[in-house]
Amino acid sequence: MKIGPIAAACGAAALVVPVITHDGYIIQLLNIAILNAIVVIGLNFVTGWAGQINFGQAAFYGLGAYTTAIATKAGLPWITTPFLSVIVVMAASLMLGLPTMRLRTYYLAMTTIGFGEIVRLIIVHWEPVTGGTSGLRAIPAIDIFGFGPQGQVQHYYLLIAALALAILIAARIRHSVLGRAMIATKDSEIAAEQSGVDTVRTKLLAFMIGAIYAGLAGCLYASSIRFISPDSFSGTQAILLMTMLIVGGMGSIVGCVIGAVALTILPEALRFLGQWYLVLYGLGVIAVIVLAPGGLASLASLSQLRRASVR
Amino acid sequence: MTADPIIVARGVTRRFGGLVALDGIDLDVTQGIVQAIIGPNGSGKTTLLNALSGASHADTGSIRLDGHEIFRLKPHRIARLGLARTFQNIRIFDNLSVIENVKVASACNSPTSFFDILTANARHRRSEANVDRSAREALDIVGLSRRADDRASQLPYALQRLLEIARALASKPTVLLLDEPAAGMNMTESMMLLDTIARLKSSGITILLVEHNVRLVMGISDRVTVLDFGKKIAEGTPSEIQRNPRVIEAYLGRRHRHA
Repeated sequence: MKIGPIAAACGAAALVVPVITHDGYIIQLLNIAILNAIVVIGLNFVTGWAGQINFGQAAFYGLGAYTTAIATKAGLPWITTPFLSVIVVMAASLMLGLPTMRLRTYYLAMTTIGFGEIVRLIIVHWEPVTGGTSGLRAIPAIDIFGFGPQGQVQHYYLLIAALALAILIAARIRHSVLGRAMIATKDSEIAAEQSGVDTVRTKLLAFMIGAIYAGLAGCLYASSIRFISPDSFSGTQAILLMTMLIVGGMGSIVGCVIGAVALTILPEALRFLGQWYLVLYGLGVIAVIVLAPGGLASLASLSQLRRASVR
Repeated sequence: MTADPIIVARGVTRRFGGLVALDGIDLDVTQGIVQAIIGPNGSGKTTLLNALSGASHADTGSIRLDGHEIFRLKPHRIARLGLARTFQNIRIFDNLSVIENVKVASACNSPTSFFDILTANARHRRSEANVDRSAREALDIVGLSRRADDRASQLPYALQRLLEIARALASKPTVLLLDEPAAGMNMTESMMLLDTIARLKSSGITILLVEHNVRLVMGISDRVTVLDFGKKIAEGTPSEIQRNPRVIEAYLGRRHRHA
């Protein structure tokens, strides 16, 4: 594969970032960008590959974060929280997915919008447990049998490692029976079925794997950022995650990372524009969709494509 | 006829509102032959294929494939029981490469668990190697091996039709349904297709062929079934069918008989 050297270069660049900058604010922003990237890679399974529109990804992110925060604040050891988060999001995604995956794309979109709103309302109104609109503070840090990252830079390296694992697993799934079945289901559900693919099961698996990605990212979010509030997991966030996927490049793992990092950092970098930022943001998204319908990731492979068409 | 029929359909009926698209069709297909289903536009040919493959279920009736009742089973279950098909309107997987298109189908004989995929263990590698080998064999049969790594959507139309056949073959079917495989092909391409169908037959696959081009059908088929307005109006060898007055009437209409 040709992307090997580029991936190695990106990985190396990511590793030296904390050496270049000691600005805690930038590192914190990058940490959130990495977490978003994991969530968007999760969204890519169900939306980019299996072709089902999912607006519930932010809610799964939130479920993982709140499960972790509530569990650790109640005194449970941190090591249990990834498992608890996965159990919660798996149960939720199974409940949503089982009835809707038999139907067409739009039904999952509608169902997940409703689900996101339900999760938000529960978080906002169940104040004694969730802290309501003011969120939860002083969430216990990551603690693996007495070991855990200290300070933002160590968190950054931990999250980079998590992202690398997320990418590796996504790439393995893509080049397996399951990944091909997902894309086949998106391209032609009936042809996939007639080729022996159980499309309902495939869509459900894509949805659940995506939810698990979001749940685990939420778990890491709660215990590395250590403050959570409903805003981070709202419907607006769900749409932002979908935008990251589209701008980065649907179906491309690299695109997911590019989209998530770009759309996490840009709002902060362009903060000086004030309200004009939204105008620029809107124009930027439209420009990408019009000029590079395959997302930013497709720009890199465009030169290869041109060469192929000449041959 | 010596062998037992591989497909036994009885009283297959399909209604679309007030229209009876299939009206109590009985169909026996002998193992190892090429059987054609012909008929004028709207006679129910594709509806019958859809009922057999599960793509669009019939309302009543019974369909047995190699002894298994497959009536109203989900299409992927029918596919795994050994029935594969192609489509009248090409339905390839645009976002996959040519070989990956075929691998989707060849994987249905190589089970692998989620755990195997995550750990990329020996069992997973073995299964992927099997999937790859049978996919390449299928591409070989239709002569598409050289295009294996191209994006499927970049293939020209006629080759996309061949890709659909390769994909159907990759699941190692006992019965292959071809829905107008020569549609949109020129003369040379059609001749190559006929050649491929003949080779498939000699490898033991039963082929059920829906085709508009009657001349093409007559040369290759062992048996021909004629549908008109959702009913079976004739069945027999190609030469019997060509002489059958009801068939001539269905195709040309009553008024033209003396023209």
